[in-house]
Amino acid sequence: MLIEARNIEKRFGPEPEDSVLNGVDLAVDCGEFVAITGRSGSGKSTLLNILSGIMRPDGGSLHFEGRDITELGSRELDCLRATGFAMIFQAHHLLPYLTAEENVLLPAMRGLRPVSREQTEAARECLARVGLDGKGHRLPGELSGGECQRVAIARGLAKKAAVLFADEPTGSLDRKTGDGIMDLLGSLPETGLSVVMVTHEADYACRAQRTVELAGGRLAGIS
Amino acid sequence: MNLLTIPLRNVRRKWLKSALLLGVFALAATSITALSLVSRAVGAGMEEKLTAFGANILIVPRSETLSVSYGGFSLGDLDFGTEMLVADEVDKAIDSIELRKNISVVAPKLIHAGRVEGAPAGVIGVRWEREKALKGYWAVDGSYPEKRNEVLAGSKLADRLGLRPGDSTTLDGRPVTISGVLMPTGSDDDSVLFAGLSLVGEMAGTPGRATFMEVAALCSGCPIEDIVGQLAKALPGTEVTAMQQVVKQRMYSIRFVERLAFGVSSVILLIACASVGLSMLSSVNERVREIGLLRSLGFSRQGVFTVFCFEALLIGLTAGLAGYLLGLGASSKILSLLDMGGTTSFSAAELSLSALSAALVAALSSVPPALKAASVEPSKALVSL
Repeated sequence: MLIEARNIEKRFGPEPEDSVLNGVDLAVDCGEFVAITGRSGSGKSTLLNILSGIMRPDGGSLHFEGRDITELGSRELDCLRATGFAMIFQAHHLLPYLTAEENVLLPAMRGLRPVSREQTEAARECLARVGLDGKGHRLPGELSGGECQRVAIARGLAKKAAVLFADEPTGSLDRKTGDGIMDLLGSLPETGLSVVMVTHEADYACRAQRTVELAGGRLAGIS
Repeated sequence: MNLLTIPLRNVRRKWLKSALLLGVFALAATSITALSLVSRAVGAGMEEKLTAFGANILIVPRSETLSVSYGGFSLGDLDFGTEMLVADEVDKAIDSIELRKNISVVAPKLIHAGRVEGAPAGVIGVRWEREKALKGYWAVDGSYPEKRNEVLAGSKLADRLGLRPGDSTTLDGRPVTISGVLMPTGSDDDSVLFAGLSLVGEMAGTPGRATFMEVAALCSGCPIEDIVGQLAKALPGTEVTAMQQVVKQRMYSIRFVERLAFGVSSVILLIACASVGLSMLSSVNERVREIGLLRSLGFSRQGVFTVFCFEALLIGLTAGLAGYLLGLGASSKILSLLDMGGTTSFSAAELSLSALSAALVAALSSVPPALKAASVEPSKALVSL
């Protein structure tokens, strides 16, 4: 298993009603497309944040490639987020003052070492792969919402992450653009990239190989 | 492209805000540079001017004094082993000391009890050019002596003997002309007659000798005790003493200017630091989402800290460069307006110092907001995404 979460717990306060996740188990395999669905407040985004190493759980264990990431230090976790995971959000959240190509290269700009020619070439290839060939020099403000989401996906592809986490990636897009993004996400597992997507739209959840439904912080069903 | 591309691009994107912050910081750097350069030039000019108001070191021959009394009658103090100073030798010795550059005037004095038209009068032999440099506050009715047989009378002496500028009279039987009468000074100078050192030496039978020497030293670069120590070493057989009150008064005036400049500079610096700090804090608050995104992409806390610190450092560096150049121009203008003498000149070392100091101060001012940025938890920042 690529990701194996067992008995994940998370609460945002001392009261019982502050508990968001109550013992959730989830496993994601290499090249698998998993959708997490549920009503608002069911804990699906919290689960995604925990799986992607952005948030630490209060209980349970989370293994990535056999290593328990809940025991990692802050620096190791930063490193894992930088190299192992990619993340796209409902809003694209590209840096507005960097071009599309530079946004794709952003994870490679973490240190003082300059981005290499190979990394730049790889970024261009990834942009071409998501259908943005020739648009790398444009700023996010010069791209459509769908194109910005594609840039965010290209950012995940460029760093050769093992898992792409997507939190409502079509939430701010119109139907047609959303469909295009879903087609793209659906094609990624073929390349060996695992995709874990949170969505409340049943149509899009159906495109995943497996759908996990959360309710009241617990697993309500798997299909 | 690397980590530093992010602050560079952000500065360019928010050019108006960056320009305003740069302007505030450059203004502060300009003010501090101008104040520093002006205070330094004014201090040096002031010291030179203060030096014109008398000596601050006295060189006298070493002597032993014995109080003699017999049968209840005091016979006063008797001096033993008093030898007069040889003016040229003292000059040579003074030229040899390490701190010679701090000595502006050495004025020899030869005291002689003479007679003017048969009336007793104290006569002081001086070297005119040095005496005039030492006593810039003198005002003369008539003119300073230019010829060997011309003398200058103190105001009280002139009143007592009825001397006026242009009068001819005799000094120890030699014909002399009163070239001028000294305006009242309120000092011993009012009661004596001043003549050339060589003339008085001939009259007293001690040519080339001096009773004592007055020295005006510039003390801002070193303590007066150092100059006194070097003089005493170079002049064995003499007593060299600093006129502490004079020295302290001068140093107080100069230090006052320097302290005032330092105080005002400190306030300006504090305001500039607060501006940078507040601006960066506001930037951190505005960019919480961006910080969250960077952290979610694996940027470390140090990386985020560097982004914000480098932005401030860049602004500080630019402001320091601009501030020095503008401050240099402003100080030249201020000095010409003040008409106090003194000049400023470009120095590459000072430019570098200004740029580096401003960069360091700006970076330090941005540390609290940068720490705040670095402490942003991606999970909390991403809640708003």
